[in-house]
Amino acid sequence: MTDLPGPVGDDELMAYVDGRLSPDRAEAVGSYLAAHPEIRERLSQFAEQRQALRAAFGERAEGPIPTRLRLTRLIAERQRRRGRRLAEIAAAILLVALGGIGGWTARDLMSPRASPPSALAAGTIMADALAAHRTFAVEVRHPVEVDAAQEAHLVQWLSKRLGRPLVVPDLSATGYRLMGGRLLPAGSGPAAQLMYENGAGDRLTVYVRPGVAGEASVYRQDKNVGAFYWADEGLGCVIVGDADRGALSRAAERVYEQTFPGMPKRNLAPQREKNG
Amino acid sequence: MPDHPAAQIEAHIPGLRRFARQLLRGDPERADDLVQDTLERALSRWHLRRNDGDMHGWLYTILYHRFLTDLHREKRRSAHHRSTDVAVDRPEVEGEQEAALIHRDLLRAFAELPEEQRSVLFLVTVEDLSYGEAARVLGVPIGTVMSRLSRGREKLRRYLSGERQPVKAQLGKVK
Repeated sequence: MTDLPGPVGDDELMAYVDGRLSPDRAEAVGSYLAAHPEIRERLSQFAEQRQALRAAFGERAEGPIPTRLRLTRLIAERQRRRGRRLAEIAAAILLVALGGIGGWTARDLMSPRASPPSALAAGTIMADALAAHRTFAVEVRHPVEVDAAQEAHLVQWLSKRLGRPLVVPDLSATGYRLMGGRLLPAGSGPAAQLMYENGAGDRLTVYVRPGVAGEASVYRQDKNVGAFYWADEGLGCVIVGDADRGALSRAAERVYEQTFPGMPKRNLAPQREKNG
Repeated sequence: MPDHPAAQIEAHIPGLRRFARQLLRGDPERADDLVQDTLERALSRWHLRRNDGDMHGWLYTILYHRFLTDLHREKRRSAHHRSTDVAVDRPEVEGEQEAALIHRDLLRAFAELPEEQRSVLFLVTVEDLSYGEAARVLGVPIGTVMSRLSRGREKLRRYLSGERQPVKAQLGKVK
């Protein structure tokens, strides 16, 4: 290879300027340039240009990093938002526990900021999620389209179809294991349903729909089926299960934490188990 | 290695600001908006990053993707309002007063290059990204990176050697 330098390409001339050639090829280009002075001249101008660009950008004063770009501030802001969501979910659980009746909308009670459009969207999405749960959770032979044995494929496929990376929450700490998932039609685009089952055969579904505007968190109970809903960062998410409320809320918290992580854990609800 | 996002991201903020300012010429305020957006996205997608330690490339990719999305949105919007010209089409060199005079012509000529060529040149020469990393950040094949690099360099060379004057040279003796 060293004695027989192949033809020199334009890419290699660039790499020569950037010092990214192997010693062998750098030598080959070197001998090529010795025979082609006009190209050598051009490359030396490129090299000067490279140095000058680095120097020019290096000298540009960027100024101190403004407060709004401080990560501590951005993280605190996210934590505050996330804390509010968890507090709302906790409040929803509490209200249901106290009232013992269905149809509570935490957001409506907790904060008058809830706007009618997002409340409407929440209703639709929850209804879709409940319908999907009722349809597939009773399936014995075909509860899922792609089963958990092919989890990597499932994630890849659903992420692609939803147009955003899907996180499959690990609910093993609450006794639920992933069975698999399926793609569902939802309005103008698709939604995904993930199904979990515990040792007692109780099933729980996580319904995910992208393209949901605004923020919301809602708990609703319809007969023996409970559903937690929240929307954040363009994603609507509903946890549906006929489990008792405690188990469902523990699962919902896990799903929320795994869908929107990235922050140090903060203990918001005192009765909540510590998450490792 | 600390697992906390802040510790790993913090070091890249100056580089992200440079890249954003390069993309949004003449508008440091919007450049910082872009960086803020990038940081927020990085935090919310922290668990999705590839775990091979290429934090630099990952953050730049988020930023560039964001930049293109904003650009397309703005172009669509400005199709209705011709007067609101997209700021990135303004060939102005931000921070000119701070840059040493000797680099003024170079930065002006650089600012005249098409965005694709500028971005490649910037990532490869100023930020020292490998060709493969630059290709990933810009979402194009490596061959495209190479041809943009070659074309950008040649164009810049011609500008600077006076074959084509990009701007009225007020400080013409620079070379």
